[in-house]
Amino acid sequence: MSPEQKVRALSVTAPDERSIVVTREFAAPPDRLWRAHTEPELLKKWLGRRAYPMTTCEVDLRVGGRYRYVFTKLDGSKPMGMGGVFDVIERPTRLVTTEAFDDFPGPSVNTIRFEEIDGGTAMTLTVVYPSEEIRDGWLASGMTDGMGEGYDRLDGLLLDD
Amino acid sequence: MAQEVVRRVGPLTDTRDPLSVVFAALADPTRRAILARLASGPVSVGELAEPFAMSGPAVSKHLRVLERAGLVSRERIAQSRPARLEAAPLAQVSRWAEEFRAFWDESYMRLDSLLSTMDDDSANDRGEQRDEP
Repeated sequence: MSPEQKVRALSVTAPDERSIVVTREFAAPPDRLWRAHTEPELLKKWLGRRAYPMTTCEVDLRVGGRYRYVFTKLDGSKPMGMGGVFDVIERPTRLVTTEAFDDFPGPSVNTIRFEEIDGGTAMTLTVVYPSEEIRDGWLASGMTDGMGEGYDRLDGLLLDD
Repeated sequence: MAQEVVRRVGPLTDTRDPLSVVFAALADPTRRAILARLASGPVSVGELAEPFAMSGPAVSKHLRVLERAGLVSRERIAQSRPARLEAAPLAQVSRWAEEFRAFWDESYMRLDSLLSTMDDDSANDRGEQRDEP
């Protein structure tokens, strides 16, 4: 990481019954963000964790085309797979996909917007789930305030930074 | 991590996937308040109903949802059948949420680094990448 990089806040909000909105700013122009989100060789370099790297990255970037990501933990436990279809492709500002995890509730419709701002890009990721119940589920662990001693770790995991 | 959560959450009679059942149970504020109350020890339905200004049957209905999600167990012997908090599913949800959060935090930090090394000579890339003619 270069020294001028500062820690940028990831904001997660729930503006209506079925959505989660994630925002973050990046110190690069929108087209770099676009490429990093759509080119497999770039995606593999950032999406995932060092101990949980992306081991499959298939991207058919056209409307109706599919993508498939698999992340495999180094400890050999079951990989996490996810994938979907590209619905809208408007380089470099708007990308709409469906997204389904192999083992988690969904699917969701994800809209990523890259907006040029002074010094970089503001990313807005809007995830719309099929029901309020499923959306609340994804947020539940961040909303379980006051669970008592021993459950403090649950508080705000997804909502706070 | 997905497997861990799915395997350990239970007992379940619901046909939905286990994580969905736990999430749905946690999504209701009254049920979260009931769990918070149970964190300090087992409580009977009557005692639970009091602070919530709810009827016994209404509390029992919430308890059944929590039971199905494996978040609460009920004593079968005692007359009052006190409800008890079961921590395992919560710990699994917590671990999952932590990993989920860490996954995105670390990914975006890696993206910051990657972006700083990319060049903006995207004119050629556009030609190769563009879908439309």
